[in-house]
Amino acid sequence: MTEFFLEVRCEEIPARMLRPGTRELAMRMFEELMAHQLTPRTVKTAFTPRRLALTLEGLAEREPDREEQVVGPPKSAAFDAAGKPTQAAIGFARRCGLEVDELEIIRTEKGEYLAAQQKTEGRATSELLAELTPRILAGLNWPKVMRWGDGQGPWVRPIHGIVALLGGRIVDFELFGIASGNLTAGHPWLSPKRFEVSDSTDYGRKMARRRIVVKHDKRQQRILAQMKHLAQAAGGRVVEDQRLLDKLASICEIPGVVEGQFDPDYLSLPREVLVTSLRDHQSAFGVESRGKLLPRFLTVMDRADDPDGRVRAGNEWVVAARLEDARFFYQEDRRRPLAERAADLEQLTFHARLGSYAEKTERLVQLGGMICDSLGQTDHADRVAEAAGLLKMDLTTEMVKEFTSLQGVMGGVYAREEGAPDVIWQAIYDQYLPGSTDDPIPQGPVGQIVGLADRIDSLVGIFGLGLKPTSSKDPFGLRRAAQGVVRIALEGNLGIDLDLVAAKAFQLYGDRLELPGKEILESWRPFLFDRVRYLLGLEGYAYDEIEAAVAVGGTNLPDVKARVAAIHTVRGEAGFLPVVLSAKRIANILKDGTEESVRKEILVESAEQDLYDAFQTLREGTEEAEARGDFVSCLRQIAGFADVLDRFFVEVLVMDENLELRNNRLALLRSIQRVLSRTAELTRLVVDKGEYRDD
Amino acid sequence: MERVSLQRLIHQLSEFWAEQGCVIQEPYDLEVGAGTMHPDTFLRVLGPEPWRVGYVQPSRRPADARYGENPFRLGKHYQFQVILKPSPADVQPLYVRSLEAMGIDLSLHDLRFEEDNWEAPTLGAWGLGWQVMLDGMEITQFTYFQQAGGLDLDPISAEITYGLERLAMFLGRIRSVYDVEWVSDGPSYGAVRHQDEVEFSKYYFEVADVDFLRSQFDGWEAESGRCLEAGLVLPAYECALKCSQLFNVLDARGAISVTDRVAVIKRIRRLAVDCAAEYVASRERLGFPLLGSWLETGDD
Repeated sequence: MTEFFLEVRCEEIPARMLRPGTRELAMRMFEELMAHQLTPRTVKTAFTPRRLALTLEGLAEREPDREEQVVGPPKSAAFDAAGKPTQAAIGFARRCGLEVDELEIIRTEKGEYLAAQQKTEGRATSELLAELTPRILAGLNWPKVMRWGDGQGPWVRPIHGIVALLGGRIVDFELFGIASGNLTAGHPWLSPKRFEVSDSTDYGRKMARRRIVVKHDKRQQRILAQMKHLAQAAGGRVVEDQRLLDKLASICEIPGVVEGQFDPDYLSLPREVLVTSLRDHQSAFGVESRGKLLPRFLTVMDRADDPDGRVRAGNEWVVAARLEDARFFYQEDRRRPLAERAADLEQLTFHARLGSYAEKTERLVQLGGMICDSLGQTDHADRVAEAAGLLKMDLTTEMVKEFTSLQGVMGGVYAREEGAPDVIWQAIYDQYLPGSTDDPIPQGPVGQIVGLADRIDSLVGIFGLGLKPTSSKDPFGLRRAAQGVVRIALEGNLGIDLDLVAAKAFQLYGDRLELPGKEILESWRPFLFDRVRYLLGLEGYAYDEIEAAVAVGGTNLPDVKARVAAIHTVRGEAGFLPVVLSAKRIANILKDGTEESVRKEILVESAEQDLYDAFQTLREGTEEAEARGDFVSCLRQIAGFADVLDRFFVEVLVMDENLELRNNRLALLRSIQRVLSRTAELTRLVVDKGEYRDD
Repeated sequence: MERVSLQRLIHQLSEFWAEQGCVIQEPYDLEVGAGTMHPDTFLRVLGPEPWRVGYVQPSRRPADARYGENPFRLGKHYQFQVILKPSPADVQPLYVRSLEAMGIDLSLHDLRFEEDNWEAPTLGAWGLGWQVMLDGMEITQFTYFQQAGGLDLDPISAEITYGLERLAMFLGRIRSVYDVEWVSDGPSYGAVRHQDEVEFSKYYFEVADVDFLRSQFDGWEAESGRCLEAGLVLPAYECALKCSQLFNVLDARGAISVTDRVAVIKRIRRLAVDCAAEYVASRERLGFPLLGSWLETGDD
């Protein structure tokens, strides 16, 4: 058993591409080797901006020899009447490199055939690696590739060296004019001299001697440890930001930390502005103590030390300039309150074919009002109108033009400083929540309602132009918007029919949209429900439980969820499975029936009369429970209906010869079907029983 | 702290890149937005001929003008632009040495290459590369050109663009660009250029005659087409550059609406694309005279 070690040395790969690129390299090497029965025992990866490394342990020296049976012509065609081999047999033997008498006869379903046992000698692992490594490297799916020099590439950045060693011996190949070997180099200007490596252990040791840490998670740990230490020494702690830490570990190979200070005067800026400026401009962390920022920052350098203090001084100089800019924007912005910026919104395009943000704002005020009415939350209506009116104003501020990631937040901060009530500024502040799956939804109903209105307005508008996202392209972030709608409706428990909100949004666009309202609703509903399925699936509901509730057709999401939860609860209870089976049976019987009303007087059998009576009780009971939103009770009553239904099917022949009786029974079943499927479309539930598999 | 003057930086960079076999050119004698638009970059990167050049290019960005009041932003700044075609394998080490030639001791500084891709829609051009950060300050744009004038490039050129004011400010730890020394112990950047910034800001934002500039745009656009018809690609390209600058001034003047913008960019791009195609054809007619002009340079 032996080790394959691979290092590709290149110019700086963008931070965001490092992990996926390395992972893909490892996966594809592993899969291809596995296909050759050379499955590595372990796969280890490492990367820095300037190198990707891969160690595969436990490889055999050769792939195993293979013995294969090759089937030739049928026996009948292989020998003539005299038993002599025909041309077909001779040709087959020649192709296999054998004599005819070395072939054998095998029995198959189709009769007897000539066959040959072919041995393929397994290739040496080094030979195989020399073939597949450059092919896999060249074929990695980088998000963006380039060429260099005389047209070498395409790859993510120019390659400068490749180490490829199997058990210490060079695996020979070439990629983009670079030959593999056993030479690598350290940091390009701090330790540029090339040196030999013999295997992964030797490599790690020699890199460490040059202070290069090739493993990303180790760099991350070292950076964090140094930062914590420095922050503590300054009497504070690091303002956490996992994404920033991940980035910092991806932009250096020597994980050094540099600490800097700035003028405490800048602490008069809002915390959000300081933290964002440090993060976006300087990739730096803030330092805080008891919730208040200190006039300090921490970032990385691609070196271990700062002997002359120049790295620190340089970073401080840049941070000071950036904070000065931020202070300028902040002061400029505050000269004009948000409410006075309405005219600027008219100049700001929301979408070329959907008009300006001023128009959007107008729609949001209306749509917010409609949502309040529908929810019966009229006491919030004034607040919602006020928040919606101010919602997009911060897009006209210098601060948001500079830091787009502060949109919403900045409007909230300015509104707060202008003395707006908490619910108003908080609603503006939270409007882009949830931005990612980890984010909470906006606090409080006002923020939730405007957040919902904003997203539904965008979804309906863009869908209305026929610009529905595709699987690979979603330039307007509509998936995230739809996910936001679903999460706000579910987690905020906004029991409102979203179809109605969308229809209102459509109406508010006037004649701007290009598709008819019906078509827009029909395309956005499945888009929305994909997110519903996904999110409820995450909560542990089975897909058929979700389908059964969704199929009822409502777009009031808390209601849909309550139905899913009810199915989940009742599913295992006695009577439920039989009633599901009966529902499926009814659906089969009624596949193409007519619509008639039940005539009680011609229900002749006692089982059908009992069914009729029980059904009346069921209908009233479920109607009453449904009105209370008690879907568990609905489903339990339906489950309790199983016995009488079963008895009906056992004792009564639905398809009676008497057409009048038959149609009456079908009509009864149809009425029952409507009630059975009102809480959940029971036929969508998968029953673990062969003949009742879901379609 | 290094003692820095603007003209010393220019001198050091010119000397360094001259040693690397670059033609040391002068700025293009028209108003342009960036060193990339100089025909010695935009046109020379096209086609198979090798090319090595270095020059200073005063670059006009009317929208960035600030009446001489902002310590960082200028309506006109100076770039030192280098093109190496084909990009040599050791282009990064060469760049690092150019920093050392300016007296930057990399054993004391932090230098990082952060992803920053470049795209110029008006030129139909894009490339991949980095912004180079020295101690956390962006000092250079480093780009491998992939396309120009809508044409795929082969060979590939490396473009290195140094922001001279930023470098001088940063190395001297100077807070305002106007305090940068143009000449050591001589006049400052402000003494040399401040009036220029004030007057052009006023011109770009308040005085420029929109109707006149629009008619100029139309005129130069037509002239570019006429030149191309006459097979004169270099004059045609100059006309295109004039259109590009007129667009920038009109934009700063607030005379380009959001919907206009796309259309105007398209018109300039059309000119650039036509010039690019015609340039390659014209060089071909001449037999690509620069082929073989540089000896192969070393690999790393």
